[in-house]
Amino acid sequence: MTYKILNPRVGTPGDEWIPRPGVNIEALINGGFIIEIASPAPAQEPATVKNKKKKG
Amino acid sequence: MPTSIYLSNPVVTVNSVSLTDQCTAASFLQRYDQLEDTAFGTGSRTYTSGLGNHELTLTLYMSYAATETYATLKDLVGTTTTVIVKPSNAADSATNPGFTLTQTFLAELPVVNASLGELSSIDITFVGGVYSTDTTNP
Repeated sequence: MTYKILNPRVGTPGDEWIPRPGVNIEALINGGFIIEIASPAPAQEPATVKNKKKKG
Repeated sequence: MPTSIYLSNPVVTVNSVSLTDQCTAASFLQRYDQLEDTAFGTGSRTYTSGLGNHELTLTLYMSYAATETYATLKDLVGTTTTVIVKPSNAADSATNPGFTLTQTFLAELPVVNASLGELSSIDITFVGGVYSTDTTNP
């Protein structure tokens, strides 16, 4: 999970915010200090083609 | 004759949020439970260290504006967080350590402390947690 700084009380706005141990992240988000950036979705694996044997 | 005079240099961070410009007093107490280990054959009481029981008390101006005192603290009541107090705003070093409490508990928040004609200020106390000093972070 990555976070972006929204308020100068936490750091430089726009920069990535790196959590310190023990910090209450939810309180920072609720207070409007940081925002959660959606992580890029993992690349999808190519669909595999299954060869089914027909019963004759 | 070493003395420390605090004017505007100390840095106060609560849950990664700088509240330096709202803070007028900070009292950081490093403390351990005192366990008596006196035994027969000794002429004086002796003690050993028990569990850490550290404490930080801050005096803050109360502001309900966005991203100010109330917004910083309202979701921390009844939870644990990390607080840091540094003697000056210079980089962390052996002579300017960041006194840190990790996983410290905020039991109560005076949401209103109002007197006619006066700026509202509150005292909050963080108790417990792991004490450390940071001499390397900026």
